[in-house]
Amino acid sequence: MVFLVILIASFLLQLILPWWVIVIISFATCGLIGKTAKVSIWQPFFAIVLLWTGMALYKSLPNHNLLVSRVAEMFTLHTWWLILLISAVLGGFVAAISGYCGYHFRKAVLVKPSNP
Amino acid sequence: MRNKLKAVICVIIPVLLAFGLNTKFGPLPPLLKFLNPFTGFWQNAEKMSVTQQSTLKLKGTEETVDVIFDDRMIPHIFAKNDHDVYYAQGYITAMNRLWQMEFQTRFAAGRLSEVVGAKVIEVDRYQRRMGMVYGAENSLKGMMEDPVSKAMIMAYTDGINAYIHSLSSSQLPLEYKILDFVPEDWTPLKCALLLKQMSAVLAMGSDEFYMSNILKKYGPGVTADLFPDYPFREDPIIPVGTKWNFKSLPVPQTPQSYTEMTTGKIKTKELEDGIGSNNWALSGAKTASGYPILANDPHLNLTLPSIWYQIQLNAPGLNAYGVSLPGAPGITIGFNKDIAWGVTNVAADVLDFYQIRFKDETHKQYFYNKTWKNTKIRLEAIKIRGARTEIDTVFYTHHGPVVYFHKPENLKMADNVPLGNALRWIAHDKSNELMTFYQLNRGKNYDDYRKALTYYTAPAQNFIFASSANDIAITANGKFPLKWKDQGKFILDGSDPKNDWQGWIPADQNPTVKNPERNFVSSANQSSTDPTYPYYINWEFGSYERGKRINDRLKVMQKATADSIRLMQSDSYSILAQNLLATLVSRVDPAKLNATQKEALEITGKWNKFFSAKSVGASIFDLWTKRLFFDIWDDDFTIASVPMRYPSKDRTTELILKDPDSKWFDNVNTPQKETLNDLVNEAFKYACDSLERKNGPIGKNWRWANVKQTHVPHLANIPGMGSKTLMIGGAKSTINALGETNGPSWRMIVELGKKPKGHGVYPGGQSGNPGSFFYDNMLDTWAEGKLYDLYLMQSADDTSVKVLQHLKISKK
Repeated sequence: MVFLVILIASFLLQLILPWWVIVIISFATCGLIGKTAKVSIWQPFFAIVLLWTGMALYKSLPNHNLLVSRVAEMFTLHTWWLILLISAVLGGFVAAISGYCGYHFRKAVLVKPSNP
Repeated sequence: MRNKLKAVICVIIPVLLAFGLNTKFGPLPPLLKFLNPFTGFWQNAEKMSVTQQSTLKLKGTEETVDVIFDDRMIPHIFAKNDHDVYYAQGYITAMNRLWQMEFQTRFAAGRLSEVVGAKVIEVDRYQRRMGMVYGAENSLKGMMEDPVSKAMIMAYTDGINAYIHSLSSSQLPLEYKILDFVPEDWTPLKCALLLKQMSAVLAMGSDEFYMSNILKKYGPGVTADLFPDYPFREDPIIPVGTKWNFKSLPVPQTPQSYTEMTTGKIKTKELEDGIGSNNWALSGAKTASGYPILANDPHLNLTLPSIWYQIQLNAPGLNAYGVSLPGAPGITIGFNKDIAWGVTNVAADVLDFYQIRFKDETHKQYFYNKTWKNTKIRLEAIKIRGARTEIDTVFYTHHGPVVYFHKPENLKMADNVPLGNALRWIAHDKSNELMTFYQLNRGKNYDDYRKALTYYTAPAQNFIFASSANDIAITANGKFPLKWKDQGKFILDGSDPKNDWQGWIPADQNPTVKNPERNFVSSANQSSTDPTYPYYINWEFGSYERGKRINDRLKVMQKATADSIRLMQSDSYSILAQNLLATLVSRVDPAKLNATQKEALEITGKWNKFFSAKSVGASIFDLWTKRLFFDIWDDDFTIASVPMRYPSKDRTTELILKDPDSKWFDNVNTPQKETLNDLVNEAFKYACDSLERKNGPIGKNWRWANVKQTHVPHLANIPGMGSKTLMIGGAKSTINALGETNGPSWRMIVELGKKPKGHGVYPGGQSGNPGSFFYDNMLDTWAEGKLYDLYLMQSADDTSVKVLQHLKISKK
């Protein structure tokens, strides 16, 4: 569920908002419906990795990876898919951290006052 | 409490992460801002296929505009009035080249620090202190005074801004994302800045600091001998013997006094073949068709995106095709139904330094005409990314700005600027070059051509012309100061009014020739005229070698076709080798050579003097002569505290051929006496050894293309965005003047006739986007020395052209 919500919301909102909206989406989603810490890390991670990989390939394949190959050279890397990997994993990492933080934020805020 | 802290940390971590990955650190782009596929670089990856029909609604147009993109994505703009044609030119050019336009004008204005930070502050200061903005402001006044050029520049500016305002963050050109800044609005001043930058590239050369130092060290005798006012060998642009059909103005008297000079602690700059160009036109008597053929290839520093932008402009009274400078309206080099025109640079001396005597350290007053005159102050505010704005104070005399009081560190371009001197430069004057191109684009005949040239100020160009009425002509054109002979060869005394520019050579007395007897006109940056021309333009021009080869070939050419001219544009025969090779080879002593050197000598002896890609002889000869010239002059003309330059290639050749026992061959730093033979042998061994060290034993790696390493770098030198190394021939002093990163930036041939036929190519493509297939698609054709057909469409529905896209712009 977390996975799907993040995937769809990130897709739609990134069409109009900057990339860092994924931080807010992951944080909020896991803050509201992230059942466990594990779910709140891995589901945002895979949602963004999948979404970003898909979008990157959607733009890059019809371009015969011409541009991404030049960008790889700019970063002194030799193959274009390393750029894809770095983009997707870095995006996923940010989402994962945000989700995890969202989950723990809820835990911190919603602690019952009766507990010592 | 612990929970509150935890909650705060849980918020802070994601915020920091987002902030950190959205911010630029050091040379890297802001990582996720750049790498995310929704707004990052991935969005700049263009599809290979192009939509065939598209429409656009823009507020700024008056009527409908049709833009046809042909199979190389070259736009053909069909508008119903002047305003719309330049508006659309602005919009379409920005669509392809926005970042380039902004970057070049930022560079010109000394505003790079604002976007890339303090590391380029010296470049910005240099541009400001040379008066680039001051000159552009003056120039703009000239453009805005004429209602026609004003309307043109305003429409063009509005077109560019319409495009800028249509951009979302994901659509920003790639380099904005890499360097992390956003486009600012275009202004008419930026058009003027761009033209000033062309002046800076082509007419900012100045040797007077070096020449003054040479005069001081060696005296007038040696200076006149080694730096003569007319070359030993020359083949001037206006044919020798051409009559001057005008009554010339009196030339000012040379004043009695020569100047004092100061020196700073800087290194000698070795004289390098400058940025040059070729153009020529044959009359119908020499062509197969009976109509003239015109050819032009301007040589500049090659970059991607391409320096030029191909375009066709059509409106009532206008139907022209050619190349434009992204950032200036109109077509700079091109043709229409009736005429064709092109340009090469004139090395006119339109930049002089004046030594200034200030009253005191405040620099508020300077001595002029026996009295103290006030300086003006111009404050240059230089914004710096990540630092406080710097205010640089520049003092202006009536001559112009005092460029430096202190030498900037590590800025090679400032080496030839003498300290405490004021700069008088033609590019600081009011001017309106745009009108020249406005009129040429619409020109119908020779008279229109002559009239168009009168508007032109700088950088001075050899404007070549051919028409379907079978006229050919060439004019060394620009606003030339009326000077006494050699005025500005050395630094001038700024306190003596006799040293000021005394007026101007009348525009109709600029060197020109129409339909000469030899049935062709040509130029390759050599001397404009023979010594009979009554005015002084400069004491030294580009070397004659390319011009000589062009004229040699054109003299014998009959029934020329576009193809014979095309082959000539990629001719790499070396006149320097023709003059020197046999003499040098005969002076080498084979007995003292090792095996490699012997083999190299044999190859060089048999070399056909063409700088072709696979030639090994070319590599050896090139390095050999460079080393030889260094051996001859370095001991005499490189002194750390006194920056000087070497005598010219022409004078050196004369010395080797005519005066082999000259004292200049002795190395003054050694006790024994060296002869020309000693130097020739040393240089030959040096050349062979260094080639061997770098490329191994004689073989494929010694080939000229491999030694030369021609490539086309990105404009901002961003790795990965330039071209691969091109294995091609050509050399700086040959017609195909290809160096490591400079050479023919546009090759054009126009066959005039009932219907003109154009052919052309540049090393790049229409698009400025490294993620486009049209970024460098013409590069290989250019490298092979081939040309594309250029389509001068008759109407938007012309079916002779393969159309990729039809864009209809209508009024909103």
